[in-house]
Amino acid sequence: MAFQTRRKYCFFKENNITAVDYKDVKLLKRFTNDNGKIMPRRVTGTSAKMHRKVVSAIKRARTIGLMPFVDSGSE
Amino acid sequence: MRYYELIYIVSSNVERKKNDQAMKEIGEKIQETGSKIINHIVWGKKKLAYPIKNNTYGTYILAHYQGGDNDKLREFDSWLKLSDLTIRHMIVKLDEKPDNEKPDIVESLEGDKSENDTAEKGEDKSPDEESLKKEKNKDEENKEAE
Repeated sequence: MAFQTRRKYCFFKENNITAVDYKDVKLLKRFTNDNGKIMPRRVTGTSAKMHRKVVSAIKRARTIGLMPFVDSGSE
Repeated sequence: MRYYELIYIVSSNVERKKNDQAMKEIGEKIQETGSKIINHIVWGKKKLAYPIKNNTYGTYILAHYQGGDNDKLREFDSWLKLSDLTIRHMIVKLDEKPDNEKPDIVESLEGDKSENDTAEKGEDKSPDEESLKKEKNKDEENKEAE
């Protein structure tokens, strides 16, 4: 290989987290970009299993008003 | 047995008494369905990520209960939707039996019960967000490097 690739890792595997709670906004914010969009797995490096859980947790947090659907950044 | 978590938001404009009244009424309705309440606690006043029914702040209340009659639970859900007690609610099925003790998140918020303290907490949070943004920027830089 001509260039070194950055090692991607699953955040949950590193920290031994098995469950994702929609109330844990601080954790979920790691997986959204500044606009509040859910970042893809290829960017975050999360395992497929945990990414599915993260996605559903973020969507739940959105419906109950804990996380924004769209964060325009003005607030 | 199925366990459910109910989270609902009470408008922060209403007085504390009405807040308690909403908790009481909803608690009674849950029991009417034949469910057993495990927890029913105030999570705290929070700023909403987006305005809901013209409210920018809301008081979050959590309830854990053991499911009773299914038809009555469905009725309870639609009753909550129609009632003016809450501005938004959500019922989630839990995978495991919830702890009888207070959930971790409530403990972390217990230090700031008064409204002044929550305002201070908002200020405390901002540096955290900044650091997160920095991390994100770093990630993006790394991506570009790749």
